[in-house]
Amino acid sequence: MLTPSERERYDRQILIREFGQEGQGKLKRSRVVIAGAGGLGSPIALYLTAAGIGMIRVVDHDRVALSNLNRQVLHWEEDVGRKKVDSARAKLRNLNSMVEIQAIAETITEQNVSELVDGCDAIVDAMDNLPTRYVLNRCAIEKKIPFFHGAVNGFEGRAMTVLPGETACLRCMYRGLVPQEKFPVIGVAPAVIGSIQATEVIKYLVGIGKLLTNRLLIYDGLKVTFSEFRLNKNPNCDHCGSSAEKE
Amino acid sequence: MAVKVHIHTTHRQFTNGLELVGAEGNTVGECLSHLIKQFPGMDKALFAKKDKLLNNVEVYLNHTSAYPDELLKPVKDGDDIHLVVMLTGG
Repeated sequence: MLTPSERERYDRQILIREFGQEGQGKLKRSRVVIAGAGGLGSPIALYLTAAGIGMIRVVDHDRVALSNLNRQVLHWEEDVGRKKVDSARAKLRNLNSMVEIQAIAETITEQNVSELVDGCDAIVDAMDNLPTRYVLNRCAIEKKIPFFHGAVNGFEGRAMTVLPGETACLRCMYRGLVPQEKFPVIGVAPAVIGSIQATEVIKYLVGIGKLLTNRLLIYDGLKVTFSEFRLNKNPNCDHCGSSAEKE
Repeated sequence: MAVKVHIHTTHRQFTNGLELVGAEGNTVGECLSHLIKQFPGMDKALFAKKDKLLNNVEVYLNHTSAYPDELLKPVKDGDDIHLVVMLTGG
């Protein structure tokens, strides 16, 4: 049930035919965890907060650095040195005080990931490294929580959505470790990809549209093109395949 | 078989800036060998060792993942091979 204030606040999205007050009510009752409060996490958190998700949990162990400010738009000059989750919570509360914001300043590990995502309806990948993405991917599959992947480099980005047990997961094309390097990026790339991830989360929670499942979307900002590639669920995947189920 | 190989942004430094390169072969692996004959710099960009793609290289055949055993996948005239580099940044 929406309050008069909520009906006014979300009026423009309630007007969307597929959305309506029912969709807004679903968002209000939803809980989302965003893993990372950086380049991707910023637009994801901003748009999900603006949309009226009931509870958003932001997890990030890092502090704001000056070199973050070209892309991590949740954090400003005055926040340099501050914990990213504290900076994020302050901005998000000012944006929408109706949304509960939980800020957790922890490093995501295999040991704590289950607790960090517990009780959430969606896990959003806003990480800056592949190993933690795989930790989240495995946990999402084990707990049967949809997983919304995004990644960027330079002017480029990619996104895909994983429905555990139904669709290809992030690990389905795994061939081995990828070296971790300092990556180049301009802020508009995570802005585009983060917005797509937030769109996917909203669609999933409301139950409308066609999700980016079994599809990898690649965005090239230099050419302004979107390419789509079909992915296959790997029956031998060590996260979501039959071998994983036996473990 | 003649195919079109789509080169990823980061690899175009090895193809004189070309986004699209023609290659011939009966499998993805043969087509990539032909690509490397034309542009030797692509070898290190794609392969860790002979017949072993780098872990961060993804191959799509006609817009569908060619994983696993990408190099063994047969191709037809006019097929599209996309070489894509996995992204990890956030």
